Amino acid sequence: MIISRWFTRPFKSRLRSGADWFEDRTGATELLHKGLYEAVPKKGGWAYALGSATLALILLQLFSGIFLLLDYVPSVSEAFNSLDYLRTSDGFGAWVRGLHLWGAYTLIFVIGLHMLRTFLSASYKRPRELNWVSGAVLFFLVLGLAITGAMLPWDQAAYWTTTVVTNIPHYIPFIGDGIRTLWRGGDFVGPITLTRTFAIHIWVLPFLLFSLIGAHLYLLRRHGEFGAWVNYDTDPDSDEEKQIGERIRRAEPPYPTKRIERRYAAPRETVPFFPNQLFKDVLLSTLLIAVIFVMGLISGAPLDGAADPATLNYVPTPEWFFLPLDQFLVVAPQNPLIAIGVFGVLGIGAALMLFLPFIDRSHERRPLRRPEVIIPALFMVFTVIFFAVLGINRLYNL
Amino acid sequence: MSHRLLLTSLSPVAGSILTNGVVVAVVALLHIQIATYLTGSSTLATVSEAISMARHDERHGRLAHMMVKSQVYLFSTGSAVAILFVLFVLTGLWAIFWTALQQIAFWMLVFEATMFLSEIVLLYALYANWDRLRDNRRTRLALLVLLNISLWWQMFFIDVVASFMLTPNGGDVSILNQVLNPTQLPLTIHRTIGNIAWAGAVTAAIGAFNYLRLTRHSPEPQPDAPSSLRPLHSIGAMAAGHLETEARRAEILHWEWVTQWGVIWAVTLSLMQPWVGYSYAKDIQLHAYGAWYTLMFGDLSNVFLIQIFLLGMIFILASLFFWRRMVRSGAPHARRQLILMVVLILLTLLAVQPAWFAGSYADAIAAAGNHPWWDGGLLNPVGNFIPFKVAALIGMVIFGLWSVTAYATALSRGHIKPGGSSRGAQRAALMLGVTVSLMMMVMGVLREHSRQPYLVYGEITLHQQITNTNPSTPAVPPGQP
Repeated sequence: MIISRWFTRPFKSRLRSGADWFEDRTGATELLHKGLYEAVPKKGGWAYALGSATLALILLQLFSGIFLLLDYVPSVSEAFNSLDYLRTSDGFGAWVRGLHLWGAYTLIFVIGLHMLRTFLSASYKRPRELNWVSGAVLFFLVLGLAITGAMLPWDQAAYWTTTVVTNIPHYIPFIGDGIRTLWRGGDFVGPITLTRTFAIHIWVLPFLLFSLIGAHLYLLRRHGEFGAWVNYDTDPDSDEEKQIGERIRRAEPPYPTKRIERRYAAPRETVPFFPNQLFKDVLLSTLLIAVIFVMGLISGAPLDGAADPATLNYVPTPEWFFLPLDQFLVVAPQNPLIAIGVFGVLGIGAALMLFLPFIDRSHERRPLRRPEVIIPALFMVFTVIFFAVLGINRLYNL
Repeated sequence: MSHRLLLTSLSPVAGSILTNGVVVAVVALLHIQIATYLTGSSTLATVSEAISMARHDERHGRLAHMMVKSQVYLFSTGSAVAILFVLFVLTGLWAIFWTALQQIAFWMLVFEATMFLSEIVLLYALYANWDRLRDNRRTRLALLVLLNISLWWQMFFIDVVASFMLTPNGGDVSILNQVLNPTQLPLTIHRTIGNIAWAGAVTAAIGAFNYLRLTRHSPEPQPDAPSSLRPLHSIGAMAAGHLETEARRAEILHWEWVTQWGVIWAVTLSLMQPWVGYSYAKDIQLHAYGAWYTLMFGDLSNVFLIQIFLLGMIFILASLFFWRRMVRSGAPHARRQLILMVVLILLTLLAVQPAWFAGSYADAIAAAGNHPWWDGGLLNPVGNFIPFKVAALIGMVIFGLWSVTAYATALSRGHIKPGGSSRGAQRAALMLGVTVSLMMMVMGVLREHSRQPYLVYGEITLHQQITNTNPSTPAVPPGQP
């Protein structure tokens, strides 16, 4: 009786009751509504789209990585052959490998731009300190994924990259040699090194990455997108306090932001995330993914000859994003300064980047009024770019 | 008769290597000072004009105009010197070398010379129409950008030739290898930054000179005057016995600001030079070892110490300027600038220690002490002689960066009061300009002499003989970098 009545009901009514049942148990509509209709600052939407593009590219890496797992064999005897098979006999597989490589390149570039935007607009300041910290750790994890990924093909480039990279911990005083042995699975690079690097690349780092992405997005939603100082300007011709009060009074969630200077509690104008900001996010992500698809098809991913530990004349060259570090090691004279360079200068640089919100405690948000952080940061950015250029020059003249 | 004419045309004008070298040095150094100012000031004029447009700030507009005018005045002189250099000095005195170089780097020199045309058009168009374009500032800015691009490319092409002379990469003369020879990019970056720093230093010196001229017959502002009143009142007091006009006061304020603007640009850009210069030297070490050895350990090592001393002086003079300005303005943390200056002086002294005083690796070997100090040896904590200086250079960069950042922070917080400068601070800025000028000259001497006994390293000798042989490498103590 009940079944016959359900079948005789109109289709729309059945659909609605099904949706109500689902909503009652999951709260999905409410969640979707909350996700789509939150307010975001009106000005600078294209710059904020870099964050969404970063997420889209990470997801692209995940899916293309899953596809590669269908063919790749993580053993020193088969790793190279499995990828060589893709190159010679599986056009689609070769394309996916190209996607994975160019996706990684683009991801590092875009995440760098996203961090630069966040830095210049001082979006890391109270109460968004942990957004920045989680984002900085995400950046380091992406670099870790990139370098461990470069070791997996087990061609000449991968083998010698593995040899150089797994030797870096050796420069850490006291515990360095232990870390190197642990990673290599012995004193030298061998089968266990590949297995462990593979495990780090597909399990350890992605687990940490996606956990932190969840935390990063939660914090973003909790405090709202800060945007940039341009969204908080006041009209100099009328009472500033009155304008700010009016802004706060009519602010939509997640504004007004708590524990922040009154001036920056709510943007002057906001737009709903959907469709305004989402349109920009989707368009930028789609454009980037389209470029990656084309590059994957045209350029693919290179594969050297099979790894040969007996080679004496192979000169390993780093990936472009590690060129500045590589060049830094070239110009650092002698072992003591290499150790200082790798773990002193870079360690201090990484720590400064990670703890930036706790170092720069001023209320100023405009770049020109924050020379105490902008000048040293520009200096560091220049140094990194300069070393990258010199690295390219050196590789050309090898 | 025609036979004799032919013979005459094929021989260089008579002269010794010494006299010919001196002529080249005088003309080339003069040419470099002008050419680098033109290139650097075109960048600064563009920046200044852009800031003026964005902020509706007349001071920046006036500064950009001043720079363009100075470029026009210098462009004619600089071009005349360049023609003198190429036509008479190189073609006349160094004909064989110059002919060979023309054949190798023909297209680079053609491109370089072509840039003169666009520069002439752009520069004189800007000069003649500056006021007419008052209501169309985007066009003015666009012309400045184009001028900047032209001058930069001209520098790029001549850098290809200059760097190729030092690192000719085994004589491979293909255009790509000339452009990407090992020291080309480091040299281009080094010069791009150096040119802007030099233009900043010249601007600071012009500002300081005008400030000192305008306040020549006036007593210095009293440091114990109330800080809120000191700036303008002190300038008013300077006009002892004269009726000071508002226009004159505005002029003093303007030149004081120009000095500060120039000093900040000069020192901020110079902060990058130790990194860049060191990397440049590293590439010389890797690809022209003999030249590098001459610079670091050989005949030119003491001249190189002068270079390091002048670099240190740039940072010291800048921090002196910052300190005096902060003290006079009653800015917080002014004493910190004094401490930074003392640290910079100590670091400079550390960096300029000659080998005979500080001890070299060879000395350590001779004393059987070529192991680290913690092991009872004679080597300093971070290695031997060269790392010792590198550590001092890194220290200079860090403390110099601290100094300029502290001043910029005080400026952005409104702690530096206009009109509060002392004549001493302006003298320091004037000295900064002189120091940078000296440094450029020393640098030119170093680079040109490091190649000796070659004109093109390993390819053409100082006696204009084409050898095509690899240069011999001087003996180096074991373990030396």
